[in-house]
Amino acid sequence: MSEPLIVAVPSKGRLMEQTAEVFARAGMVLKKVGSDRGYRGIIEGIDGAEVIFVSASEIVEQLKAGRAHIGVTGEDLAREHVADMEKRFQVMRKLGFGHADVVVAAPAAWLDVRVMSDLEAVGRDFRRLHGRHVRVATKYMNITRRHFQANGVTSYRIVESLGATEGTPAAGTAELIVDITTTGTTLKANGLKVLDDGVLLRSEATLFSSRAAPWTPDTRAALAEIARHIASL
Amino acid sequence: MAVETSDSFEALEAQAAVIMAVFNEAAYERVAPSIIQPADIFLDAVGERLRARTYVFTDQDDEMLCLRPDITVPTARIYLQRHPEADVAARYCYNGSVFRYQPGGGSPAHPREFRQAGIELYAQIDEAKADAEVLLRTLEAVQTAGLKAPKLRIGDLGLFDALLDAVDIPERWRQRLLAQFWRPDAFRAELKRLSTVPGSAVEGLPADLIAKLDPKQPAKAEAIVQDYLDSHGIEAIGTRAVGEIAARLLAISLDAHSAPLPKAIADLIESYLAIEAPVRAAGARIKDLFQRNDIDIGEALDAFERRLSLLTKGGANIAQATFDAEFGRQFEYYTGFVFEICSDELGPASPIAGGGRYDELLRVIGAPRPIPAVGAAIYTDRLLLAASGATS
Repeated sequence: MSEPLIVAVPSKGRLMEQTAEVFARAGMVLKKVGSDRGYRGIIEGIDGAEVIFVSASEIVEQLKAGRAHIGVTGEDLAREHVADMEKRFQVMRKLGFGHADVVVAAPAAWLDVRVMSDLEAVGRDFRRLHGRHVRVATKYMNITRRHFQANGVTSYRIVESLGATEGTPAAGTAELIVDITTTGTTLKANGLKVLDDGVLLRSEATLFSSRAAPWTPDTRAALAEIARHIASL
Repeated sequence: MAVETSDSFEALEAQAAVIMAVFNEAAYERVAPSIIQPADIFLDAVGERLRARTYVFTDQDDEMLCLRPDITVPTARIYLQRHPEADVAARYCYNGSVFRYQPGGGSPAHPREFRQAGIELYAQIDEAKADAEVLLRTLEAVQTAGLKAPKLRIGDLGLFDALLDAVDIPERWRQRLLAQFWRPDAFRAELKRLSTVPGSAVEGLPADLIAKLDPKQPAKAEAIVQDYLDSHGIEAIGTRAVGEIAARLLAISLDAHSAPLPKAIADLIESYLAIEAPVRAAGARIKDLFQRNDIDIGEALDAFERRLSLLTKGGANIAQATFDAEFGRQFEYYTGFVFEICSDELGPASPIAGGGRYDELLRVIGAPRPIPAVGAAIYTDRLLLAASGATS
């Protein structure tokens, strides 16, 4: 028997439920099978495809390594963890759920800061007065670096923050942040504002295909079948 | 990943011995800086864009480290370790591997691990002499190693600094242009803004607040800003003080009240940066441009001329060299003379060696003040190719 098309799907939470819903609407019912605790499955109606249920960040790794042919994960995770994502992944479809904006936010009290280019001027003054760089707390180190560079902002340092990032300016462990926001109320409660041009990425759950996966006539045929269903959405 | 054959390994070792002998002969002491370096020092000196090209990692103790992306900073650290006051002239040379991130793991043309041999000259008071010495020794090294017709390109960031010093321009604008110099697009945009609508940054800021800020009464600004924050229920969080915010708002307000930078000055700056010509012709054009605009940068121009005559005296074929006013703009730590040696074999996109003056770097990594420093690095893998007659 030939090798199946491996489809990586989030293994828990809202992301899994919404993926299942969207697939079902496209006429593809995800079904868990086998005895290995429900981490494998099939798509009813699609021959030659096998589903693996893994975490959203693990899906990025599976696609990168080519162990999965296609997969559903957040665009923010893909862009953060794959240096040249456009070359290695192909966006098959943005799925319309799991929306989250990755934004640059500074203290609302920074009345003189409205846009990214203000940050370079502030960063230079800050370094002169404080003897160190302005710190940006984030878990998106690569996205932050690329966006700041593209906007000519160079006078800053990144501090990695894996939780409660929005509290770091008030706590004095960073001056500004790059984080995801769905509503903006958390930012406001922490005395922060999003810069006018501070939306780095409007992320949503996305179906990606991997260029590194072993593509054969059979896996291509299964992919075409899934693409046909997705196109009906 | 490229695997070094024993042949090229032996050839590189033999070539390095030749280069090091030239440097040792000229009284450059060989040093062997660590391959693993603290990432903080590089991030402070180079900035976050370092991460785009450097292998940064943490060890089991959560210490942030990197594989050295160049050998200039590690060598400067050795100098400061030996001479914390940076008050002694010193000459060091080195040979070893450097590491740069390359997408997809690298290729033969852009390997992620390659070699450099180089020299650094610190705290030499006669700067023109130090500049000339470093270029002459580098030329001697690549020629002794077999490079037949080195092509020389030079620049001088000191001339640009002197030009900005000599023209009539508010100090805060001068600082802004100097800071943007390294990003030509941003620089051009800033120059255009200053010479058309210098106060444009005021747009989008609270007009009622700006109206209350009087550039003639800076002492009152902080209280006015604090009042504004209080009356709008905005809490001043974080480490940047209200006084700092007020100071920048004042500067923006001052810009809004200022006449634009005269077009003649903006044109002069653009004309200077456009100069690219054989060295002697470029020197004449610079002199002419400045004379016509009644600009006196005598000292910087004298230093430029003196360096050229020292190079000629030292045997460099300066008549063939190119001067490019823009050259050096991509390397933020250079502060003065910059140069590059190319070859016919590999072309202008793959320099064999490059170097220049970097008087600020030692202060950034811990010296008590800016220290005169000039150095050069030879890309020995390329030199080996070019010297053996390979073409790109």
